[in-house]
Amino acid sequence: MEIKIMKNILDRNQHRAEEVRKMLLSKKLLMVNIISSPGAGKTTLLERTCEVLGPKFRIGVIEGDITTDRDAQRLKKYNIPIVVINTEGGCHLDSHSIFKVLDSFDLDNLDVLFVENVGNLICPSQFDLGENFKIAVVSTTEGDDKPEKYPMLFREARAVILNKIDLIPYTNFNLTDFKSDLKMINARVSLFEVSCTRGDGLEMWFDWIGEKIKSIIFPMEGSQAKNL
Amino acid sequence: MHEIRIAEDLSSIVVEAAKREKLLNVTRVNICFGQLVQIVPEIFEIAFREAVRNTPASKALLDIEILNVEMKCMKCGSDFLLIDNQFACNLCLSDDIKIIHGKELFIKSIEGE
Repeated sequence: MEIKIMKNILDRNQHRAEEVRKMLLSKKLLMVNIISSPGAGKTTLLERTCEVLGPKFRIGVIEGDITTDRDAQRLKKYNIPIVVINTEGGCHLDSHSIFKVLDSFDLDNLDVLFVENVGNLICPSQFDLGENFKIAVVSTTEGDDKPEKYPMLFREARAVILNKIDLIPYTNFNLTDFKSDLKMINARVSLFEVSCTRGDGLEMWFDWIGEKIKSIIFPMEGSQAKNL
Repeated sequence: MHEIRIAEDLSSIVVEAAKREKLLNVTRVNICFGQLVQIVPEIFEIAFREAVRNTPASKALLDIEILNVEMKCMKCGSDFLLIDNQFACNLCLSDDIKIIHGKELFIKSIEGE
């Protein structure tokens, strides 16, 4: 006998993600899910962002790490609340793990929560965490073929940070090809070409993310969804 | 590796449904994945075998249907399939498109006795 089910396999994750989303909305708090391969520069991007936006906004960070707390250690100096989720080998965070740690934050005293996902370009993009949007970080040393190889992430991302542009002369990275592939997959995505270590191009990222945070803290009536 | 977690969630749904329907053996599990989900069927099969070990579905056949990426242009209304990662209308070239199929990750049915 056949029993029809017709159900999303990740239904439980999706329901929990919606709960997280509702909670964040009630607290006027922006959550950004940052996804990249290992070593693309997520933590360095967060370091620069905390340095510049830390004095203007109340920042919290959830660090997804397979085993260590090394990324969290690097952010300690900014004196912000940080919670580490060790996935014990798991290749992505899910909404249940996020929901569990939200209690560790004083959500009424935060404006933005950055989630540094586990370094991986495929798995994290399948799991809704309840975030407002995803950011993809990709570095020039990984090659210019990442959008073409991992279209789901680049299609879903609200912004793409192309990091390590200062290293382009030492690689075979073709910026024109990268941009044209990205445009084919997601013509409306915001692209920031930066060097997180040298500082190039970061001002535009700070302005962009600052505006997103402000649109959550001071929503114009009925326009919050549009602004995001 | 997300195959493992998805297989575990699938196993929970199958076991729950088998219990509800009083099935002693699940003989087949029919699922559907969109191409964009980037699941490797061979890896998923291995993950599924592990996830259903010692359950009424331990011997179930896994039938995976992969759906192509199908989109609709919100400007001219044309329906088209994704070719070469071009997420734009193949007629009017508008990027105002909606993905109709290709992101699925769902269980269609189970069979058993």
